[in-house]
Formats: sequence, structure tokens, C-alpha cells
Amino acid sequence: MKKVGLLGLTLLLVFLTACSGGGSSTGPASAGADGGGAVKEETPDPFGKYEETITLTYGKSVDATDKSLPVGDTPETNQYSRYVKDMLNIDTKVSWQAASGPNYDQKVNLSISSNDLPDALVVNDMQLRQMVKAGQLADLTDIYDRYASPSMKSFIEKTGGIAAQSVTFDGKMYAIPSVQVHADGVHQLWIRKDWLDKLGLEPPRTIDDLEKVAEAFVTQDPDGNGKDDTIGISGPESGGLLYAHFLASTNNLYGLDPVFGAFRAYPGFWIEGEDGDPVYGSILPETKEALGKLRDWYAKGLIDREIGVRKDAHEPVKSGQSGIFFAPWWMGYGPLPDAIKNDPDANWQAYLLPLDSEGQFNARMGTSSTQFVVVRKDYEHPEAVVKMLNLLIRDEAKFDISVGIGYYPLRVPQSAPDESEYSAKALQEVLAGTKTPEDFNDPGYKLLAADLQNVKKVKKEPYDNMDIQYWDPQADLGVWSRQYSLLVGASTLLEDYNKVYSLLYSQTKTMESRWTNLKKLEDETFLKIIVGAAPLEEFDTFVDNWKKQGGDKITEEVKEYIQQ
Amino acid sequence: MNNRSFSKHYYLMLLPGMVWLILISIVPMFGIVIAFQDFNPGAGFFRSAWIGLENFDYMFALSDIRSIFFNTVFIAVMKMAAHLVVPLVFALMLNELRLALIKRWIQTIVYLPHFLSWVILAGILLDIFSFSGPVNGLLKALGFEPVLFFANSTLFPFMVVASDVWKEFGFNTIIYLAALTGISPVLYEAAAIDGASRFRRLWHVTLPGITTTIVLLAVLSLGNVLNAGFDQIFNLYNPLVYSTGDIIDTWVYREGLLNLQYGLATAVGLLKSVVSFILIIISYALASRFANYRIF
Repeated sequence: MKKVGLLGLTLLLVFLTACSGGGSSTGPASAGADGGGAVKEETPDPFGKYEETITLTYGKSVDATDKSLPVGDTPETNQYSRYVKDMLNIDTKVSWQAASGPNYDQKVNLSISSNDLPDALVVNDMQLRQMVKAGQLADLTDIYDRYASPSMKSFIEKTGGIAAQSVTFDGKMYAIPSVQVHADGVHQLWIRKDWLDKLGLEPPRTIDDLEKVAEAFVTQDPDGNGKDDTIGISGPESGGLLYAHFLASTNNLYGLDPVFGAFRAYPGFWIEGEDGDPVYGSILPETKEALGKLRDWYAKGLIDREIGVRKDAHEPVKSGQSGIFFAPWWMGYGPLPDAIKNDPDANWQAYLLPLDSEGQFNARMGTSSTQFVVVRKDYEHPEAVVKMLNLLIRDEAKFDISVGIGYYPLRVPQSAPDESEYSAKALQEVLAGTKTPEDFNDPGYKLLAADLQNVKKVKKEPYDNMDIQYWDPQADLGVWSRQYSLLVGASTLLEDYNKVYSLLYSQTKTMESRWTNLKKLEDETFLKIIVGAAPLEEFDTFVDNWKKQGGDKITEEVKEYIQQ
Repeated sequence: MNNRSFSKHYYLMLLPGMVWLILISIVPMFGIVIAFQDFNPGAGFFRSAWIGLENFDYMFALSDIRSIFFNTVFIAVMKMAAHLVVPLVFALMLNELRLALIKRWIQTIVYLPHFLSWVILAGILLDIFSFSGPVNGLLKALGFEPVLFFANSTLFPFMVVASDVWKEFGFNTIIYLAALTGISPVLYEAAAIDGASRFRRLWHVTLPGITTTIVLLAVLSLGNVLNAGFDQIFNLYNPLVYSTGDIIDTWVYREGLLNLQYGLATAVGLLKSVVSFILIIISYALASRFANYRIF
């Protein structure tokens, strides 16, 4: 009975969205005349304002925990959508919204499968392929050529063709790819330095050090509240990833990637095997070794005991329970603002640690493009999307980002791939007084000028000490978020470290039908091994099953792909 | 004359239900063609490539299929049994209460969770049974090792059944209580005069009086043997309990809606529907035989 109820609800939603979709699609059709006007312009202007207001509907992913919107504003109507309206005369309408992550993906999938699409969407690689196959998308080849701003084109070109390749099918461009900074793919160690100091410990350099530190965090009551309530190492939430993988290679918060890296294990990545042929990292002995260590740690209580089950992995970090987690550079944007709100002394610092047995940090690197802006076939103003992204690139530095930038309609990050490290270095040099803001005028780094101007608003002297007490987040939390992320999170990436790329960042033919099951097998087995619900030997059974159930065939396909 | 206008009302009242049934249950049924297609949402039902039984071949080759069918039947059968026995025992006990006010209070209170959705209840349950929750607090205080109830694949199906019974038993209790009021008090008086003890009266008067209701509820629930409760399990499970907690509906959801394998997901859903259909036919035959329950 309940099943029927849910099904009914789903269908009802489909009907409702179908109705609203129908309603809105008549809107732009009647306004088609001014669309013609825009095309008639002799030289297309990347920032050209429409003479008459055009409407663009899109699906919105919303961070449910974000509270940065001022009273009266909504995910649909806020400073960013008003800016788009003022500058371009595009009226953006949200057809539906869903919480970011699995909920949003599911909503997009529902739109794809019911063939009921808003005018534009942000989708992932799998969804993009599905939509191209289904013939649901507008061909953006010409539009990109004519309307993309020089900055956008330069970002996309800087990836060496990878970004363009990811959206090109049969020679046609079907989406505008995100161009993410390298730094989004490097997961590093974030640790409570105030806890380390209190217990007289150093940041852990090796796996053994990490074990000792985590043990001290768990047993020695580092928060001094007299209760046995601290977590050594945070883990992913329910549905989260133990490690980034080739299909979701960036921004894996609370994964355990660096621990695997310290064993030179790269589960979830296609890497070159000893014989030079591609091999899937999850089935290699190094991965087993790392899992054995993690299992050991879990048994000792060093890893969050609710790993993989917890509903919200942000929570222990925000509430000051957790002492260590692994994540990319931008933690100053979140969860750290909440963490320091709860405890102003929470001194989270980032390091490229732990190191492997040869003293090297092994980072798995993401691909530049994991998000794609697509436009529904038959939408009258496909160029509107490109204009909106042009505007975002040009004017992002002007925005007050204390209101989450995610509220910008159809936002995907686009920037120079090395923007984070470059900006961190520039900031360091300006703070040290060896250079002045005027020395940096490369327009390819869109936020740098503002960054350099703002840094002293939130950074207190001494300028070379990044501990939390030498910052002033209260002065401007939006500025602090970025500066802290750059100076604490991204500056570590200026060191030398080993960059490991996956041979492949998209699906092959057989993966389309088999990968889900293989991935489920992998996720379930690994999580069970870590929490002790299955013996470590289960790993060998997994490897056999994985190969048998399609893994071998897929490996062959990957090999063919590489040879092409 | 009088009779006919009376039945018109009935048809009118039937109308919204029929509209709902046609829109929600009958129209989407044409979608089962997807099971035989390499479905392409852009091309729709009519122009997608026809691939015959390929989806079914692949389905039976998957190692998952056996375990999800087993999990589904296991959880659903346990739920059916529990939903029959627990409300019955509870209704009988409640019926012995002399104070009508307390009786009604209890009846309302146990009925309340029925109105809460699983999204909310699952959040509450996961918190209560988490490491820092009250249940593990109690276990720790008593000197036991804390247990993550919803992350333990052995315990998970039982937790699912227990929480579902807790949520729903108030509903069936009310049906039983209604049946109990239908038993003539004269029978009890007669039995009491004949010197029957309370237990004897229960055995010889109460139970025979509600047998039809029990049989009817039992037989009708047979149709649910493949419905282990999507919203409940979906909100409670995690990868650690896939081996015992993943059911047909959750699997179809992941495969169809998350991984866009429409054909495969529809094939599994269709198989489930076929098996359910057979079970409903059987349960209808049984119902008409033992409880005189007829639709046609």
C-alpha cells in the first residue's frame, strides 16, 4: 500500500512538472520574436542585454544546510538572479529544486526519463551521455564559438582539450563544461591544530603517526569537556564515498583518500599496472593493505564508528567532535564557518599528509570537468546560458559571497586550473611585502585582484602565521571563507607532491549496464571490511567476483580506449 | 425507486477513487513495454529499439537478483505474520480493560505513529539507535558493547519488521476492536453463568466471534508478500546492510532512477508484478473460500 502511495506521489509529481513545463514552454515561444532580434545582431555580444525580457527555466540544487540567504530572498530570487536580470534581461525561473547531491541527481534523472526538461540544467557525466543519446539537447557548437567570452574560452583551452572533449559527441558540442581548479581533486589532511598543541603532538607525517594522533584525540579528551565523545578521524556519511573515483573524481569530503594514497593504493582509479596495461586500482593488493589498516583503526575506535551510516558527516566537524578529516582546499567555505562559530578556537589547519614509506604525498587528481550546463533542444535562446556564465566569470569578484555563490543560476565553476595555488602564492607574497597587488594583473585569474585587495580585512598580523587566532572572521565572513581556503587550504599545494591521474574519467560501453553492480559490490565489501562485518579475506572474493561479473570485459574496453 | 437513487450516491462516491486508480495505476501500466526495449526517453515508448528478452536474460544473470527476492519475501512474510498477531493480542488485551476512557486513550496513542511518514520516523529511529543515542547509552550503562542496530546486517531485517509493527499495529488493532464490539454481550453472560473462566470465554466466545476478520486480514495481506515497504527501507538502509536489507523496490529505484537502466529496472519490476498478481489471485480464492469474501 505504501509502495503504491509513493508511486502515486512520484507520478503526481511527474504530472505536475509536466503541467508546469507545458505552461512555461509557451512563455518563451510567444516571446520568440525578440529572440530573433538577438540573433539578428551583426556581431554577437557575449554580454549583450536582451531588449525584451526572456524567460529561462532551470532545475536548482540547493544546499539545505545553507543559511546565507537574507530574509525575503529565495533560491529563485536573490542577489544573483537579480543581477542576471539587470545585466542581461534574463528572467530565471526555478522549475523545481532539490537538495544538492543524490536528491538533485535523482530529480534530474526523473526529468530525463520523463523527457520533461526545464530550459537548462546542470548535469553530471552520466546524465550528459544519456541526454545526448536520447537526443534531448541543443547543439551548442556555434553558440559557444560566437558567444563564449575570451576568458571562458581560455579556461576551456587551458585544460589541453580535456574539457572540450568531455562535451563533444560526434564533433558537436552539447554542453558547457565546468573547468575546475586542480585543487578540487586533491584531498588533504585537515586537523585540529589546537588539539595537537594541547596534547603536545606534531602533525602526523606517516601512517603510524596518524594512528598515534588519532588515538590521542580519542582517548585524551582533547576538547577538555571531561566526556569520552571525540572522534579521531571522520568518515563519509551514508551514501558518501570512501574515496573519490574516476566518475566522481573531485570534492570528496570526508573520504579517506590520503590514507589510501599513503599505501600507494588508488581504489576507484584506472591506473597503469606493472605490465603497462590499465588496471582498476580497487582490485590491487595495495588497496587490500590499506583496507587492513583502516579495519584495524576502526576496531580500535580511531575512525568515526558511524562511518558510512551517519546521516550528515558535516555535523561532527561543525560541533567540534571530530579532530581529523580529509577534504579539498575550500573548507573555509564550509563546514569551517560553522565550526568556528561553535568554537572560535577550532584551529583547523591543512597539510599534504600522511606521506608514504618514501616520504612522498600521493594525491589522486580529478578531471577538470565534472559538471555540465546543458540546454534543452528547441529552447529559443540557448545563448542565454553562455551569456550568464560569461557574466559570472567576469563579475564574480564583485559579488558579496557571504550569500553562497551556489545561488547563481546554473552556476558551474570555471576558472584557470591552477587558480587556487596561484592565488595562494600571490597572497603570501603580498602579505610578506615582497610584491604589491599591482604586480599581479593577469586577467586569467578572475578573483585575484579582489582577493589581494581584501586579504588584510580578515588576516591579522603576524601575516605568516595562519592559526585561527590571527584571523578576524567577524570582519567579513564571506572574505574570510575564501582567504582562509586559499592561505590554509590551497597554499599546501605549492609543495611538491605526486599527482596520480586516472587513465579514464568517463564510462565505457559495458559500464553503462554493469558498472552499478560492480560498484555496489565494491562499496559494500570495502565498508564491511573496514567496520569488521566481513573478514579482510573477503577482499580476494571481491576481486574474483568483480572480474567475473564484467570487470575483465570493462578492463579490456579501457585498454582499447587508451590505445585509441 | 428509493433504492436506485441510493446507489447513484455510491457511484458518485466511487468516482474520485476510480479516476485515481485509472490515472495512477492503469495508465502507467503501459510503461511495461520498457522492459522489452532499450528505452530512450527522447524517442519515447514507440520509437525505442525493441530488444525482446535481453533485459530478462541479464536480470537472471545478476548475482543480486536472488538475494533481493529472498530479502523481499523474508521481510514481507515476517511483517505479515507480525501484523496479524501483534494487533490481535493487543486488541484482546485492550478489550479486557474495564475503563473505557483509558481504553480509548491507549487506542489513540498506539494509532498515532501511523500518521507519521517514514522520512521523519527513520530520522528519529536512526538517532535513537545511533552510537550516542539512548539505546546504546543504556547498553553501555549495563556494561554491554554498543551495537549499531541499523548497520548490522543480521539485525537489520528484524529492526525493520519491529519498527514497522510499532508504527502500524494501532491500525489493525482498531479493526479487531470493531469486530470485538460486534460480539453479542449475551454470549459472554451465558458463558459466565455456565462457569467459564475468563480465558475460556476468550477461547470459546471471543476468538470464534472474530475468526472471519482474522482470516480476511490474513488472506488479504497475502497480496503484499512482495511488498517489503519501500519508503521504510529506503530511509533506513545503507551499504552495510545491502546483503540482507536490499529489496526489489529499493533495487529497482537505484537501478532505474539513479543509474538510468530503465529496461532492466522495469523488467525486475514487471517480474515482481507478475508474481504479486498470482499471489493476489490465490489470496482471493482463499478469501472467498474461507471468509466468504467476494468482489465479483
